[in-house]
Amino acid sequence: MRFPLSLADMTLWLGITTLLLLITSEFISPYYGKIGIVIEKRRLRQIAIILGALFLLDALIQIYAMLHAY
Amino acid sequence: MEETNETGTAENRDQLFAKLEQINQQLQSERKASKLKLVRHKFSSIVGYFFLSFGIIALASAIIYDSPILAFTGLGLTLWGGLFLFVKPVRYAKANLLNSTVISSLTTINKILTELKYQGQGIYLPPRHLRELKEGVVFVPIRNETVIPQAEDVAKGKMFMNPNGICFTPPGQGLLTLYEKELGTDLSKANLSYLRNKLPKLLVENLEILEDLEINEQDDKIYVKMNGSVYEDLCNNLRNNTDICSRLGCPLCSSIACALAKVTGKAVAIERTELSTDRKTVETWYSLIED
Repeated sequence: MRFPLSLADMTLWLGITTLLLLITSEFISPYYGKIGIVIEKRRLRQIAIILGALFLLDALIQIYAMLHAY
Repeated sequence: MEETNETGTAENRDQLFAKLEQINQQLQSERKASKLKLVRHKFSSIVGYFFLSFGIIALASAIIYDSPILAFTGLGLTLWGGLFLFVKPVRYAKANLLNSTVISSLTTINKILTELKYQGQGIYLPPRHLRELKEGVVFVPIRNETVIPQAEDVAKGKMFMNPNGICFTPPGQGLLTLYEKELGTDLSKANLSYLRNKLPKLLVENLEILEDLEINEQDDKIYVKMNGSVYEDLCNNLRNNTDICSRLGCPLCSSIACALAKVTGKAVAIERTELSTDRKTVETWYSLIED
């Protein structure tokens, strides 16, 4: 029994999710009621940034592993 | 005679019943509204827990069955479950509600000042000036001249009338309290450059009251340019019907005056305020008054 995703898979997932959340947090502004969804934009962005940081960390780990492999 | 009295009493009773009925209906509608709010809040949490539990199950299954698809599904569900729990919906009110809510109280203040013949320009006194008070106050002199009252006179109470002027809590004090809460700072411990850096971001990005804010220092004056305010209608309404904009300022201008008084530790007066022709931009010049 092991987790079926590799670090590369996780990096890809984190990258895509971060992008989606960051773009969403930029688009969903309740300013002047231009959209119907009213959620806490700041918290959504916080989560997106945390995921982005995790993505960068993953990427760094992979670069480090690649450099050590040679 | 007795008949007239009886008719009068019956009418009073009917009026009282009508009023009670009205209050009852109001209470019932409020109860319904609060119930709806609770249901919405609960719904968001229920969806969150639902996603989270299915996500965890999918992740556990992915490990057991060694399935990458289940793992991706689990990660997605867990993330969205967490998002639903953490990022809850917030309530937003329409901008025109602000107008209806605030206009009557501001018109009343204007009427009081006019009826009592207080002709001076509002002077925002900083809390540093008033050791006993945490909040700032605005002082309106009886004559059109710049007079700062004695600190001990002001400290006696939040609102007082004396032969020189009237002193009360400014219309923007509530907003200032909100700014301090959002910034997590007591502005009396900050300085003007802090306010210049933080206030535009707070008003434009966080509170979304304005589209753009510019604060510049010009000698002993502070120039503030506000663009695309949610108080636009209120501002226009107040300008057309009262002279409170030039005397005390609308709640937004007043809150900035309170903030300036607090950070500089000096008394602040709204010297001039101009509205652009498209009614989108308000330019205000605040003067800092030395003791």
